[in-house]
Amino acid sequence: MKKLLALILASAMVLTMLAVPAFAEEAEAPAEEIVMHEGVTAEGEGTVFNIYAWNEEFKGFFEKYYQVPEGVTVNWIIVPSDGGAYQNALDEALLNQENASADDKVDMFLAEADYILKYTGSELTQDVGALGVTDFSNAYEYTVQAASDANGVVKGVSFQCCPSALIYRRSIAKDVLGTDDPAEVQEALSDWDKFAAVADQAKEKGYYMTASFAATYRPFSNNASTPWVVDGALQIPAEVQQWIDLTDSMMEKEESLTSGIWEDECTAQMFAEGKTMCYFGPAWYFNFSMGNAQDPEKGCPGDWAICEGPMAHFWGGTWILAPAGTDNPTMVADVMNTFINDEAVCEELVVNEAQFSNNQAVNGKFAEDPAFGVEFLGGQNATAVFVEMAKNIKFENGTIYDQLCNEGLQNNLQDFYRGGSTKDEALANFYKYINESYPEVVTP
Amino acid sequence: MKEKKEKRHVSYAKWGLIFIAPFFIAYIIFSLAPQIITIYNAFFENYRSGLTIVGPNFVGLRNFVSLFTPDANGTIDILKYTGNTLLMWVEGAIPQIVIALLLAIFFTSYRLKIKGQGFFKAVIYMPNMIMASAFSMLFFTLFSNVGPVNQVIQAMGWADATIDFFSMTVTVRGMIALMNFLMWFGNTTILLMAGIMGIDQSMFEAANIDGANSLQTFFRVTLPLLKPILVYTIITAMIGGLQMFDVPQVLTNGFGVPNRTTMTLVMYLNNFLSGKNYGMSGAVSVILFIVTGILSLITFRSLRTQSEEA
Repeated sequence: MKKLLALILASAMVLTMLAVPAFAEEAEAPAEEIVMHEGVTAEGEGTVFNIYAWNEEFKGFFEKYYQVPEGVTVNWIIVPSDGGAYQNALDEALLNQENASADDKVDMFLAEADYILKYTGSELTQDVGALGVTDFSNAYEYTVQAASDANGVVKGVSFQCCPSALIYRRSIAKDVLGTDDPAEVQEALSDWDKFAAVADQAKEKGYYMTASFAATYRPFSNNASTPWVVDGALQIPAEVQQWIDLTDSMMEKEESLTSGIWEDECTAQMFAEGKTMCYFGPAWYFNFSMGNAQDPEKGCPGDWAICEGPMAHFWGGTWILAPAGTDNPTMVADVMNTFINDEAVCEELVVNEAQFSNNQAVNGKFAEDPAFGVEFLGGQNATAVFVEMAKNIKFENGTIYDQLCNEGLQNNLQDFYRGGSTKDEALANFYKYINESYPEVVTP
Repeated sequence: MKEKKEKRHVSYAKWGLIFIAPFFIAYIIFSLAPQIITIYNAFFENYRSGLTIVGPNFVGLRNFVSLFTPDANGTIDILKYTGNTLLMWVEGAIPQIVIALLLAIFFTSYRLKIKGQGFFKAVIYMPNMIMASAFSMLFFTLFSNVGPVNQVIQAMGWADATIDFFSMTVTVRGMIALMNFLMWFGNTTILLMAGIMGIDQSMFEAANIDGANSLQTFFRVTLPLLKPILVYTIITAMIGGLQMFDVPQVLTNGFGVPNRTTMTLVMYLNNFLSGKNYGMSGAVSVILFIVTGILSLITFRSLRTQSEEA
């Protein structure tokens, strides 16, 4: 009897947990008419459209703005990315694509910049130009570069663009630089020498320049002039070496904390009482990941602003890729075209979803609009900053090893900055880490 | 006459075999076969580079040779990680066994007659029911630079600056040992209690009548009679300890900070699995298997001979 009761209680709990999100989705029913793209498919093509993803973000946009053509069922296979589970599931499915029945074939899948090259460089993805996605004139160049293979064949598109800005505390900038005007702050932080000099000034006044040793990593790694692996040998790109030198010096002068980007110590600095001047991140970062700064009691909304910072770079973003062997080629191309070239849909993404769309014409409109200021940034029009910045972003010299190289280097150097190892030990541990994951890569 | 006798003799042997068959079938499918395949894999080069599958190519003992090749500083990684694993296990196992033994004696003592035993037993068993990863996350937060432990230390004035617990080998290993101790001492207590309760009560009474004090009773009566259960407890704890993974993996995000001094054998194995390197991870598994076998044998032998001598 007791067991039965326990079972009932447990299942009730599980059911409630499942039910709540379902209710929440229903409650979000849109109030006004939403523009939807009418999907198309061709006769004789598949009736089941399988999409692999690791979260619900794109699913939300897809269901809201894309009218699935009649007779086609969209089947979402969502595997969380924790511990590489998403890539594991996707890899198995793609490697099995040839033997899968038409209804089980992967028709479309999502990938992040960190590992997109693993897929674009493989024959398991196909040229989207051949499918009918040919107009990239409005898309940002780096989003096309990211989805291209070594020969320049484009294998996917991105429905968002994630230029990453330097986000600074207005009050601290005023104290340190005497101004909080984005143009003047940008002038003071326009290259890394100036950045280091301002870090010294900030330290003198009792502030930290950044709250994480890794805050400045992405600008450098995004702009690497050589790949991580050259002729099968690991080589730290010159720009990443430059980051190590800058960070060594900043850590020695205690101008930054030793915490990781997502650790509590770093995010605690976002509160009003925090002493940190700069963060780096795109719109999604200040919209969704700076909760402490947005806290109505302990936060400091409005005391922030953005500028381009020393180097244009991006962070995050999701690409839609076309696997080889899909049985729905027409619809694949149609979905891709919708999210980069259907201006009405792109506008909806900007207005309703706080996205910076991958359509330059659409973003340009909002950059001009004075009503489009962000309250959190003291009314600054973020889109205007991003529009200029996004043109300078590069995605070059990528390799399939990038994700683990970036993670491994940062994590092992963090151990050094915290005092757990010497720099030589940290680098040796980084090389071991790479060797364990990629036995074929020769390390120093 | 003879025929009759034979007819009366019904063999139940086949039923015995049928009843134990499910276990053996499950064991062969889920334990033995994977084990043999793992050993087989250890002799092959077999991994994935991106989406390209390399191998399997037979390479003989090359995987083992590379595991035992010293790095530029002369360290043989696998020995270092074996050492880490054993050390962290011992740090946690000594208090675990001692405290569990003490508690088991208190709970079973007919003199103390502790009230509310059920409650205490449930409480000491409780930590075992928390997921190891959740427990690690808790410690990670507690001991972080802005965590409650640092806040208390600073509020009390014990230290001026933040103490970075994750930058020191002693503290990280200490945390891991403490967590393992907290998670497992309840389980050990219950096992040892069962062992003590299995001892004939008249032994204790006889010792009592002969005028033995508590210490004498413990060392001369309880401990020798408990030895078989104690050996079992230590060996199972050791096998579990050699496979230590979840606590240090989550606590150090898989990097074994500081400077890989908290990297365990299974964490090392897991690093190879990120590239689906079945060859190297197979080789590490084989070594882990051999180490476990040898240590279990040593423990078993040494404790058994002692009890025989006694």
